[in-house]
Amino acid sequence: MAQRRIASGELIDEATLTLEELARACSVEVEWVVERIESGLLADGSPYVTSWRFTSRDLTRARRLCQLERDFEAAPELAALAADLIEENQRLKERLRVAGLSDD
Amino acid sequence: MEFKDYYQVLGVEKTATTEEIKKAYRKLARQYHPDVSKESEAEQRMQEINEAKAVLTDPEKRLAYDQLGERYRSGQDFQPPPDWDAGFEFSGGGFEEADLGEFSDFFANLFGRGGRAGRGSRGYQMRGEDRHAKIVIDLEDAYHGATRAITLQVPRVDAQGRVLSREHTLNVRIPKGVKAGQHIRLAGQGGLGMGGGPAGDLFLEIHFTPDPRYRVEGRDVHQRVPVTPWEAALGASIETPTPLGVVKVKVPAGSQSGRQLRLKGRGIPGPEPGDLYVELEVVLPPADTDRARELYETMARELAFDPRRRRGG
Repeated sequence: MAQRRIASGELIDEATLTLEELARACSVEVEWVVERIESGLLADGSPYVTSWRFTSRDLTRARRLCQLERDFEAAPELAALAADLIEENQRLKERLRVAGLSDD
Repeated sequence: MEFKDYYQVLGVEKTATTEEIKKAYRKLARQYHPDVSKESEAEQRMQEINEAKAVLTDPEKRLAYDQLGERYRSGQDFQPPPDWDAGFEFSGGGFEEADLGEFSDFFANLFGRGGRAGRGSRGYQMRGEDRHAKIVIDLEDAYHGATRAITLQVPRVDAQGRVLSREHTLNVRIPKGVKAGQHIRLAGQGGLGMGGGPAGDLFLEIHFTPDPRYRVEGRDVHQRVPVTPWEAALGASIETPTPLGVVKVKVPAGSQSGRQLRLKGRGIPGPEPGDLYVELEVVLPPADTDRARELYETMARELAFDPRRRRGG
């Protein structure tokens, strides 16, 4: 059934996520997030990490790590390596697309 | 509701060992992983594969499913018989609560809140799970803001405790200034809570419709603009379409292909608005008429120009 009401949300990054919110959004325990941050696999270099606030980029990265670990029973480091390569691949594909060299 | 043959989904025999099932799962997960797959229905396939693995690698669930499966074929109309799961105690409430949104009605009916394990949790309060969806907008929408309707499958528990799915259309305001990859959080629009617990949140991840004219980096927007050799050489004031509409750009004299002109603050708006970068692309007119050939020949004769010498080649 269609709703006429228009839902307005919060834009993540203007309002950042707490540790608990990030964990809940990924359906993982808080400890899962903490372990990956402490190992440098997640939120690396984010200025928010020292205050335990997380951005949209952290959320996307955390969900990707979580899926890779779950789907392939992968070690966290291996999932992070795959995530790094996927992210790099996406950046390069975007550049190819704009340069008109993409197959897609 | 159709009966799902989980063995068929994973392409394994009914006699397959857990290790064989996991192996088949990993192979398919690699093929259909949404981050890398080029298949059109990768996400849907991945959901089916995950669901099949969740059942077939759990000994209790697999045993219960096998007993049920003896009477059904894939795609056959199916309703779980009453007390079909009698004698089974699905550990941990049967499945992770957070999985419900990602699995089918079929799964939710067998192992979800409609199942015996779910009914046992009376008096227990739990917040609904957070949900995720992607929303695709045009770059122009990020400049001006927009409203988009999205349709989601929302599970609902009926009077008999069964989990049913219904379509829910939500009109969402896309605020001006959103970036690709950014999330909008809609509080309380996620999964339903249990036992009076609050609903979860819905996270919408912003994607831009691919547009060959633009490349977006954060809030900065890059676009290429073709110019004539005389506009580049002599300088000109040109008009070019941008996400903001047609704007006038001053091409400095002596420009070459690849020169970038920055239009400050004309990128995606926001607390720190991005810039619009216009990259000039000098396009040569074809020498396809006598007059055009004559002009090129005049230039060749009268301009002492050798781009290879200048490069030192």
